[in-house]
Amino acid sequence: MDEPTLMRELKASPLEIFRTQSTLNPYAGNWGYEEAAHLLRRCLFGPTHAEIEQAVTDGLSLTLDKLFTPAPAAPPPLNAYFDNDLLVPKGQTWIDAPFGPGLNSYRRNSLRAWVTGLQINQGVSLTEKMTLFWHNHYPIESGVVNDPRFLYRYFKLLRDNALGNFQTLTEEITIDAAMLRYLNGNQNIESSPNENYARELFELFTIGKGPQIAPGDYTHYTEQDVVAAARVLTGWDDQGHNSATVAIESRFLSQRHDTGDKTFSAAFGDQMIADNGDQEYKDLIAMIFAQAETARFICRKLYRWFVYYKIDAQVEQDIIDNMAQTLINNNYDIAPCLRQLLASEHFFDPLNVGCLIKNPIDFNVGMARQLEFQIPDAATSLESQYRHWLQIYYNNNVMQMGVFAMPSVAGWPAYYQVPQFHQNWINSVTLPERSRIATRFATFGYTKTQIRVEIKPLDLMHIPSNAPDPNALISDFVKLLFPQPITQDQLDFLKEVLIPGLPDYEWTIEYDAYLVDPNDQNLANSVEAKLNSLLDTMMNMAEFQLS
Amino acid sequence: MKRRQFLRRSAAAASVPFLLGGIPLTALGRNQQLEALTAGAEDRVLVLIQLNGGNDGLNTVIPIDQYSTLSTARSNILIPETQALNLTNETALHPSMAPIKGLYDNAKVGIIQSVGYPDPNFSHFRSTDIWTSGSPATETWETGWLGRVLDMDHPNYPDGYPNNSFPDPLAVTIGSIVSTTCQGMSTNLGMAINDPAAFQQLLSGGTAPAPNTPYGDELTYLRQTMNSTNQYLSVIQNADSNGNNLSNLYDTNPSRLAEQLKIVARLISGGLQTKIYIVSMGGYDTHANQADPTNPVTGIHANLLHELATAAEAFQDDIQQLGIADRVLGMTFSEFGRRIASNDSDGTDHGAAAPLFLIGNQVNPQIMGTNPIIPAVVDPKDSLPMQYDFRSVYGSVLMDWFCIPEATVKNLLFEDFQHLPILTSNCFNTSVEFTPSDQLVLTQNYPNPFVGETRIRFESQGGEILLQLFDGRAARLRP
Repeated sequence: MDEPTLMRELKASPLEIFRTQSTLNPYAGNWGYEEAAHLLRRCLFGPTHAEIEQAVTDGLSLTLDKLFTPAPAAPPPLNAYFDNDLLVPKGQTWIDAPFGPGLNSYRRNSLRAWVTGLQINQGVSLTEKMTLFWHNHYPIESGVVNDPRFLYRYFKLLRDNALGNFQTLTEEITIDAAMLRYLNGNQNIESSPNENYARELFELFTIGKGPQIAPGDYTHYTEQDVVAAARVLTGWDDQGHNSATVAIESRFLSQRHDTGDKTFSAAFGDQMIADNGDQEYKDLIAMIFAQAETARFICRKLYRWFVYYKIDAQVEQDIIDNMAQTLINNNYDIAPCLRQLLASEHFFDPLNVGCLIKNPIDFNVGMARQLEFQIPDAATSLESQYRHWLQIYYNNNVMQMGVFAMPSVAGWPAYYQVPQFHQNWINSVTLPERSRIATRFATFGYTKTQIRVEIKPLDLMHIPSNAPDPNALISDFVKLLFPQPITQDQLDFLKEVLIPGLPDYEWTIEYDAYLVDPNDQNLANSVEAKLNSLLDTMMNMAEFQLS
Repeated sequence: MKRRQFLRRSAAAASVPFLLGGIPLTALGRNQQLEALTAGAEDRVLVLIQLNGGNDGLNTVIPIDQYSTLSTARSNILIPETQALNLTNETALHPSMAPIKGLYDNAKVGIIQSVGYPDPNFSHFRSTDIWTSGSPATETWETGWLGRVLDMDHPNYPDGYPNNSFPDPLAVTIGSIVSTTCQGMSTNLGMAINDPAAFQQLLSGGTAPAPNTPYGDELTYLRQTMNSTNQYLSVIQNADSNGNNLSNLYDTNPSRLAEQLKIVARLISGGLQTKIYIVSMGGYDTHANQADPTNPVTGIHANLLHELATAAEAFQDDIQQLGIADRVLGMTFSEFGRRIASNDSDGTDHGAAAPLFLIGNQVNPQIMGTNPIIPAVVDPKDSLPMQYDFRSVYGSVLMDWFCIPEATVKNLLFEDFQHLPILTSNCFNTSVEFTPSDQLVLTQNYPNPFVGETRIRFESQGGEILLQLFDGRAARLRP
């Protein structure tokens, strides 16, 4: 047998792929449909054709202004259809209602549906996509927290701070009631410290783990720091969990707090944090945020969320370092460094267009938005609305991205698991699910409470500028649904799907006949069937998986 | 604070390694000696059972000779001695694991004590990466240990796969996420199957070569996944429909793990030539409420071990009845064990070494290694140091199950690889001899605890000796 040369020491061989050389210099190039679509694909869950057209008109700067305008406060999730909550009639919210046996299940589904509704109905604002970013960054799992009222408060905290200050959000999440439960902060007491939250605070939430350079020394922090931080965080507790009488809150119990001095390692300059009671956690977080590595750590995560997962030396130096400096200069306000990225030559570098594999929420919510699903409004049927939103949540979940259903405290593997990162979304189980669900919406859709939601291609005919021309029709749907142009062979293939074996003018004749008499149901049905198979095929192509 | 020491004899380059501190010669009686089975390994299957979260080894395989100190260190979660299931006079199982005891009594389970690595890492993600990659704790390797094995024979995968020689998936994860153990140098060589019957055909829509850009790179990945999903579709569905399950035990104790193992048995019996299957169960991160202090044989951990034990029992029963048991080996792993001391939340925090189970007809049905020693005074941060490097377990499986030569195993894993007699199958006609523990004398180091210097005295019958010192945190000390 041929012996490979120390195979265990080989790293994945770098593919010979062109890599970027561009920087954070402000982008001043062409601004058209492709550029606007690229920006909105990355900042929204699937931009609609109208949103892209508006962005072309608005220009880059005004579009960014809109994207950085926080969405308005959202009305709370409602009891949409559950009959047996005696304290919360249908149409009312349960977020401050008492706990009762048998109520968590519908409330949890109400919350999942509501979050999905916010995503579908997002305006041109980064709020929802950044809220999801923070959910991935500070994960919790409903199976552990197990009280939907806690989950709602946690989610609202993320959403209210989605475009706010990273340090402030870290302070808030540290004493958030749901997080105190999720990572056992509520069991962290002086006589028996629980390190769970302290460890993740360093490793996953702020500064990240560097190479292990000595036993217990992870470059950016050490085991000593985990122990010391756990002591700083002693004393916090949550109240009201699954309680019918006690209000939900986080509270500080000074008798549980370790008042001794906490000494940190050389990674933090041997700093000491003295007793500061219920404000002491802020001293800890300030110490961590004084390290530049904390800024770089979150900037890498933002980069992977908005641009691409590969961070090479050029990206680290020209993009991450400079974003981190902007973040530090702005005292950890997220917006300036993120805007710097999204407005940059690097972001619009052709090598960064179309390389992001859609996560399941991009895929499913994006499909609902770009193909303009007509989900009923609350006035038509609150129940149907929530059930349709919940169905889309289920579709996300079967593709491994349910909100509040994190696989672990590290968030979704696509955002940390080397070397494949985003490719982790795609495998022989999840890809057939994407196929199945796209095809279902293109065929018979889902019916909830007597109202069907499906792709209605005849209602999408405002999208192509010249629908009677099959080439123009296909080309315009390609521009909306795919991030890069496709080959002539692929265009021909799609035309064959639309009008198998027929010359172009047959489509023109059929479509014009439909326009002349849109009430001829047979004619409409045949045109619709052809468009359905075109859209179904496009959504099953690899290109539709990319953003 | 250095209070634990281990004496271990590393495998020498010669083909007859000795093992100190291993199992006594007499313990091999049931198998006469380790047989040299030179039969081919072509149809052998390895089933990995991943226990996500870090299993508490001390409440799984209980060192009953340590009860006096254990009861101080973890009184709120300790299994009462009267309820532990004795395997030997010194070692017992958690009472939820009666099916595993049954398999052990029938010579179908081997236990390796205190498996870990020298520089323990307490991060789930990092330690999982270490276990799945087979890397040293101090290095990051991007390939999985089985991915490197598969890469040797299949360097071009997925180009040209499946083909006449390899019509079936190389490795299969039951679930929705492919296992990082099968990550190769350029792609993951495994595939995920959730429900073989629901596997469906995918459209690709375009075969023109993708551009040499990040976009083209991702497009190629997507198309390859579509193509391989399509191409493996029929073989998996054939195996699923030709295969069978004969055990009724899956339904006696239904669980997600049992369902996964049932699919594995069905696919193997249906003729799928896949050699590696990975199944998993989560929930082992028992920081809180691991056991009910008023009745410690109940609680989260008891339920987890019950699921593991009953699913393993059903699977073994099934493959026996299907007549495929001689060519199937099961092995558990978890990213780490837990601390010696319990916490006040009736749980345990992240620790280091822990026992590992091998299940099958060809395991050496013994407890390898000695019970961990629980000191009288346990610091809350103390963990169990390793006795056996997990890479030696992996390498021994590769050698004796898949007939991969020792030199290659060292290449794939690490130079200090120690060939462990954990299987009765043996591809290379080597034997492993054991030095009875009474021929090794290792006395307590002095002074202890110590700073800077201590003395260790030992006597042996000669040969190469490796001494390793671990501190209370289970980290190996370097001179």
